[in-house]
Amino acid sequence: MSRRSLIAAVLITAVVTAIVSVSMTTRLAGQSTRPARTADGKPNISGVWQVNNEANWDLQPHEARAGAVTQRGIYGYAYAQVPAAPVLALGAAGIVPGSIGVVQGDGQIPYTADAAKRKADNAAHWIDRDPELKCYLPGIPRATYMPQPFQIVQSGNKIQMIYTFSNAARTIHLDTVAGPPDDTWMGHSVGRWDGDTLVVDVTHFNDKTWLDRAGNFHSDALHVTERFTPVSSDALRYEATIEDPKVFTRPWTIAMPVYRRLEPNIQLLDYPCIDFTEEFMYGHLRKQQLVKHWESDTMAVDITRKVPPGEQLFDWYGK
Amino acid sequence: MRKRLLQALGVVGVIVAVIVLLKVAPAGSASPAPGTRTAWGDPDLQGIWTDEYQTPLQRPAKYATKETFTDEERAELDRQRAGILRRDQRVEIGSERDVAGAYNAVFQSIKHTGKRTSLVVDPPDGRIPALTAEARQRADTDRQFRLALLQATQTCKDGDAACAGGKFGPPSPRRNEVAPFYNTGRLNRSDGPEDRSMTERCMAAVMPDFGGYRRIVQAPGTVSIFYDVGQGQGWQRVITLEQVPHLASSVRQRFGDSRGHWEGNTLVVDVTNFSPKSDFMGARENLHLVERWTRSDAKTLEYTVTIEDPTTWTKSWTVKQEMNRQDDQANRVYYEPRCHEGNYGLPALLSGMRADEAAFAAGKGPDPATKDTATDFGTEGGVDALTGGG
Repeated sequence: MSRRSLIAAVLITAVVTAIVSVSMTTRLAGQSTRPARTADGKPNISGVWQVNNEANWDLQPHEARAGAVTQRGIYGYAYAQVPAAPVLALGAAGIVPGSIGVVQGDGQIPYTADAAKRKADNAAHWIDRDPELKCYLPGIPRATYMPQPFQIVQSGNKIQMIYTFSNAARTIHLDTVAGPPDDTWMGHSVGRWDGDTLVVDVTHFNDKTWLDRAGNFHSDALHVTERFTPVSSDALRYEATIEDPKVFTRPWTIAMPVYRRLEPNIQLLDYPCIDFTEEFMYGHLRKQQLVKHWESDTMAVDITRKVPPGEQLFDWYGK
Repeated sequence: MRKRLLQALGVVGVIVAVIVLLKVAPAGSASPAPGTRTAWGDPDLQGIWTDEYQTPLQRPAKYATKETFTDEERAELDRQRAGILRRDQRVEIGSERDVAGAYNAVFQSIKHTGKRTSLVVDPPDGRIPALTAEARQRADTDRQFRLALLQATQTCKDGDAACAGGKFGPPSPRRNEVAPFYNTGRLNRSDGPEDRSMTERCMAAVMPDFGGYRRIVQAPGTVSIFYDVGQGQGWQRVITLEQVPHLASSVRQRFGDSRGHWEGNTLVVDVTNFSPKSDFMGARENLHLVERWTRSDAKTLEYTVTIEDPTTWTKSWTVKQEMNRQDDQANRVYYEPRCHEGNYGLPALLSGMRADEAAFAAGKGPDPATKDTATDFGTEGGVDALTGGG
């Protein structure tokens, strides 16, 4: 081989190696170019994901509201409510966004007559009753559409799902693992692949989690069937069918897209809500009240804590 | 010309192939043990793991020159350790101590004696290095405050070990002071949740941790570890293997910020960005860990961690632990961390103290400052020959 061809070879080598190296580096850093399939041929759903919708406010179609808690305005119409005291100071930052809804079919949730009353009652007592406000484990399916990101770590026979909210987690068993002998907040998840869809059967629930901030609830007879289907490398269709004969007259289904967080350095961050809700949960039991008064240029907010009598003190924590 | 070009391209092909192979081949992948590689070729650390043996963190003074126990010594220690009542010992019926014992020995994990006399392997004497002058000062300031809050109690009147360095006297005016540092332990005061321990507040877990169970699930580029620790105070950790820098130093997290990479068969993890609200033996935001996780065989996961904080210890130190693989089915029983969801203890403790204060103010009860809600059940139930504890 002549000297000229050797030089040519070295030069071409340098260029090709550079290109290969760059493309490999890009693939490592850029999550959007991760392999579409895992080593065992399943869709690769590992990564950090997040919904971009209003399902946690209310699964059903709804228009925007003046605040998370409202009261009667000048008019008696529901559409003319004004923000109530707990959220008034937040202005437009306190508005509840509207939603096209995620309940499939007619958008209705098929409550029994008694359960429908309880749902309405829950909505009226949202601050006292929603487990989210107390930083309790979010349950399934609500964990998926909490506003914070969650992470999927997909192995062969186990898939770990890790949620920012409350540092919650669950293991999805794709092998045979019998359920726990007690009920749980996050359920017992057993998965299987149906083509390119991960189907997860979730059972062993308690009756303490909610489905959203609108008071939608379930009993300990809840059975959730989830379906995670990739619609592109960076989006999944999430579907959850909810069965609970103690609360609903028939199974019903919610569905929504879940999007991949594409930042190359994305990671779940601490969301220390046990710590941050202590004042909300225990502030009324302090020796001396701590949070009492706040004011802006046009408003003063005064807080008076009260201690429920007798056993009601403890019942509040289990609502 | 064409032949020369083909020759040149052939050489290019070989060189590129060699370079790419060198780049892609995982270092130290020479002879992986069977079943210890994932489907995508990483070392497989997955499963449920725990240290099945009891090994003191620091080597007890009586074993100063001894690194390991013989099998006979372990058997004898097991016999002695099984023979004590621990928290099942009833002390004076109806006393505060006796009530504290309601959390009886059922709640304690008593494990067989391990082979080594300490988890600390460096320094070689098995002892945690001396605290810095600054850390000694912090510890003393903290201790003095705790003792002041305890001084009107029976614990100090009796001269119990829990009051060592303190004195018995009337309620201290320091009861109205804010704690000198963000409190993570039990103060003998319950003015609000901050006076109670991280355990009572369901935030007890810290990094590093040498107890409980780990469930490891991996994916390419990620290792997740669920820590089942502290009676429902478990937590979930995700270690990225992507080559990205640590979080901005302004971002502080309770369990730090983990960055991992493979060195041969070993997962090496660098942990920084700790929060001043988390406390590991006096180290807080300046804590820095380097962990090494190695699957040494199908049933053993070796864990070492080098612990460094120049504001706390005079030099770094290293702990080594061997964890044993646990059966998935037998360990399905519940690992959900729901301490907070069932925490009736904290509101009961606070409201109970408010009731005591009201009773005292009405002349119907003792001064709450004379009660001890801070120190633990002692060693009335016998001293564990290995750990020196109750």
